[in-house]
Amino acid sequence: MLAHLPDALSLTFSWNVLIALLAGSIVGVVVGVLPGLGSALGMVMVLPITFALEPAAAIAVLVSVYACSIYGGSVSAILINVPGTPQSAATIMDGYPMAQQGKAALALGWATMGSFVGGMTSLVLLVLVAPELARLSLNFGPIEIFALILFAMTTIAWVSRGSMVKGVLASLIGVFLGFFGPDEMTGQLRFDFDIFALSGGFALVPVLIGVFAISEILMQAACMKDASVPMVTAGGFKLAPWREWRARWATILRSSGIGCFIGILPGTGATAASFIAYADAKRRSPRSANFGRGEPEGVLASETANNAVSGGAMIPMLALGIPGDGVVAIMMGALTIHGIVPGVFLFHDQPTLVTSIFVLFFLANIMILVVGAAGAGLYAKLLRAPISLLMPAVALLSFVGAYAARANPFDFTVAIVMGVVGFLLRLNGFPLAPIVIGFILGAPLERALRQGLILTDQDFLAFANRPIAAFLFALTALVLIQPYIKAAFRRQKGGTK
Amino acid sequence: MLKRLFGTALAATIIAFPAMAEYPEKDIELIVPYGAGGGTDTAARLIQPHLEAILGQNLIITNMPGAGGTVGATNFAKSNADGYTLAFLPAGTAVYQPNLRDVAYDENSFAPICMTINDPVGVSVGPDSPIGSLDDLIAAAKADTISAGTASPGSIPHVGAVLLERAYGVKLKNVPLENSAKISTAVLGGHVDMTADLVGNAIKFGLKPLAVLADERLDSLPDVPTIDELGGPPIRLSIWFALYAPAGTPQTIVDKLSESCEAATSQSAYQDSVMDANRSPHFMGSADLSDFFQQEFQRTADLFMEIGLKK
Repeated sequence: MLAHLPDALSLTFSWNVLIALLAGSIVGVVVGVLPGLGSALGMVMVLPITFALEPAAAIAVLVSVYACSIYGGSVSAILINVPGTPQSAATIMDGYPMAQQGKAALALGWATMGSFVGGMTSLVLLVLVAPELARLSLNFGPIEIFALILFAMTTIAWVSRGSMVKGVLASLIGVFLGFFGPDEMTGQLRFDFDIFALSGGFALVPVLIGVFAISEILMQAACMKDASVPMVTAGGFKLAPWREWRARWATILRSSGIGCFIGILPGTGATAASFIAYADAKRRSPRSANFGRGEPEGVLASETANNAVSGGAMIPMLALGIPGDGVVAIMMGALTIHGIVPGVFLFHDQPTLVTSIFVLFFLANIMILVVGAAGAGLYAKLLRAPISLLMPAVALLSFVGAYAARANPFDFTVAIVMGVVGFLLRLNGFPLAPIVIGFILGAPLERALRQGLILTDQDFLAFANRPIAAFLFALTALVLIQPYIKAAFRRQKGGTK
Repeated sequence: MLKRLFGTALAATIIAFPAMAEYPEKDIELIVPYGAGGGTDTAARLIQPHLEAILGQNLIITNMPGAGGTVGATNFAKSNADGYTLAFLPAGTAVYQPNLRDVAYDENSFAPICMTINDPVGVSVGPDSPIGSLDDLIAAAKADTISAGTASPGSIPHVGAVLLERAYGVKLKNVPLENSAKISTAVLGGHVDMTADLVGNAIKFGLKPLAVLADERLDSLPDVPTIDELGGPPIRLSIWFALYAPAGTPQTIVDKLSESCEAATSQSAYQDSVMDANRSPHFMGSADLSDFFQQEFQRTADLFMEIGLKK
């Protein structure tokens, strides 16, 4: 790879490419910040423009939109309690409480650095061991994916603050929503009630917009005392002192690792990764009790992991031609149209180009810092707007996002109905994050289970014969019984005193 | 009175004629019933710039995914037949789905304009598989159960597996995975034994292709025999992509689009870009495609009836 670096650099460092990088970063952050627009839509928006560019500039636009949009989602999650992208859904749990405590600038600092470090770690893996890691992902067939998603489902327990029963119920709402539409294995339509609009099932973005954005707007309207007061007063961008970073280095590393790993594997994606990292950090952190009340580590875990997914997901895409998630699938389509066909031969046939992709991905991650720091002042100005102006604007943008996901007017209805559902759930103390976890993981879990059962001739116990699956099952069990063991230990200690 | 009416009609004709001759005079919406970046979307975006250049108007792609492409196709079938809403549909959406389940469109809902890509299907195994030829594969399937990576019933890999089963009198364990990328991953990782999917995917993912289900060997895979050469049954399977207007679109517009499409697909830049993407460029104009479409529709209906999939 190093041998091709000079050529790759000369390909990269031209004005066209650098301007493309800057433009892509700005577009990325904007679609990230605006609720509902997100990485996938940003990618689709720039797609036609990239066709007019040389390949290096086109790649610059695509990777910078990708990296910066994932980061951008954290801004609205922190400042207005609405995740700008699905990937940042886990960030609101601690980001918004921080902002309410007047620590918005600090929260943005954590999110920005976390995103940067996560992206960079995944890049290192991408450069060093992409082909090897890509081959590792092939060991994950339906049975292993089932075990992995089952493990991911345990995060519901960790994000359900307050009542566990309510958390589980909320996740079941999400799972149920995932049942609608065609069953991908038999082609049969489920729960369509002969209504055409339901035959495609529910898409993630409109559901998410409803659950988080619309319900937040209703919440603000219901609980508003004075509409002329801004929601979050302090803005700007501030990095925490070094000792606070040092105290959380383990979380940074672990969240990066989780993000990369989830990114490489098919079937889960960045949203799940940020929840898994969040749950993992909460489980291990000495500051565990603060999670959900404005603990920076929660923001850090979620944002580090979701950006680490970006490099992770590019590993099987570039090395095997298999996209790790939906956004990378769009990038793969764009590359294909440019005559760069990801697949087993890409590293061999076009090493300079692959190296320049790495260089551009590196620069795109630097851009997170640049636009993150530069944009913070702007957000502060924006947030000085009173709620009575800000919330209608968020509502409008949310509906645009809900519709744009798949150009289906039915999705307006979905967003509104889910908004009312989310509002009622909030009023009754239900956590909202489990709905998203249930929705994104329910359907893949079911598919993987059924595919696995076909492979083992309907013998579920045979799943445990697969070493990777057995390991993940054990891990799941361990994570679930861990609180009981801890409690038992504590009792014992208390008894001997 | 009559004179004035005649005059108005004449004036209307005069105004209307240049308007027809000048089609297209504004942007054209192109509905793609799958998400951006997928196989259908890529095929549409490969032809898009060339068609735009020839028509002199923008083709705005709207991705309208859902339910095997039927959400987009249904919305398309209901749109105005004025030539300003077109759709780019794979065979699965246009021909297979209406025979599988109740959708709001059928063989009379569309005016076929042109075929742009025709990707043949091949039978492939994993690169490290002990199976080295189609004969090996059939022998293995007769000796023991082997699994085939497919997608939902009526999808191309599923139909391919069923056709092989019937032709050779074997039974394959049908594992429905969601899409081509997942199927290829499973074949590469040895989770399933074989698949009958696009030959382009076999090349891209590094699978071992054993036979192509087409009339002739492919330029991209000169060493892989056709199923006929191997003495197998004459199975033909491919995924073809075509541009459609809604039924009732004026013939002049359909003809204009078909001619533009022919000019676009004959450009070497277009053909090269398609082949670079491991796809097979293939043009068929409106008249031929209309016949072909009806034949395929009937053939699919018969096949699905035989294998018990017909709605």
